[in-house]
Amino acid sequence: MSDAKTIEVTIERTIPASPDEVFDAWLDPKIPGTPWNMADKLLLNPIVDGFFYWAVRGTPHYGRFTAIERAARIQHTWMSPNTSGLESIVSVTFQAEGKNTLMTLVHSGLPDTDSGRSHEKGWNYFLDGFCSQLAKSGAV
Amino acid sequence: MEQLSEVLSAISHPTRRAIVKRLAGGPARFLDIAEPFDVALNAITKHLKMLERAGLIEREKRGREVFISLRPEALRLVANWVHEYERFWNGKLDEFAGYFKRPERSRT
Repeated sequence: MSDAKTIEVTIERTIPASPDEVFDAWLDPKIPGTPWNMADKLLLNPIVDGFFYWAVRGTPHYGRFTAIERAARIQHTWMSPNTSGLESIVSVTFQAEGKNTLMTLVHSGLPDTDSGRSHEKGWNYFLDGFCSQLAKSGAV
Repeated sequence: MEQLSEVLSAISHPTRRAIVKRLAGGPARFLDIAEPFDVALNAITKHLKMLERAGLIEREKRGREVFISLRPEALRLVANWVHEYERFWNGKLDEFAGYFKRPERSRT
């Protein structure tokens, strides 16, 4: 695993609410769009060193909370069949911007594999061959 | 234009993708790059300019010759953009942000 290539994805959203509200909502399984919402089975203990387990359509996800700083930051590990045995890290920060909150989610340590990439419309030409060839050549 | 858009434009043309593929094997001189293509050298120059603008290639002078090499870091932007977790979290955060924009959500 030591030579496994990993990548990270970063997503930002401006949410029309205070960091307190957004932080609390992110840990509330009843709120749509949280990772915990819509789980078929959910165990969630959002404290440092607390674990979560959630499964949807038979796909399990596990993790351990490594930082809970109310209204500022939530960090936890994330393992699923898609992380291929790697313990990836999800870090979410909340920053006040006037009456809004800038929410930044960084998912790092993700395996950089072909199966990890989507095959969205229009991208098949790129992914089918092109990118994997470059990957094989060590270019990417 | 942001770099991701420039990279996407740059690799949207089959000739430019072929050039990138060629350079993935190592640096090459202009005429070596142009050789497999049945187009005017002027057209290859234009393709190289687009790749250079996107940060995908760089030129290096070695003695009297100029070698063109791939800068693969720019392609990582694309790989990251299409990673399935990017789609997953984009979908989740759209839904989450949408919840806060609902008019019926009472706020005190």
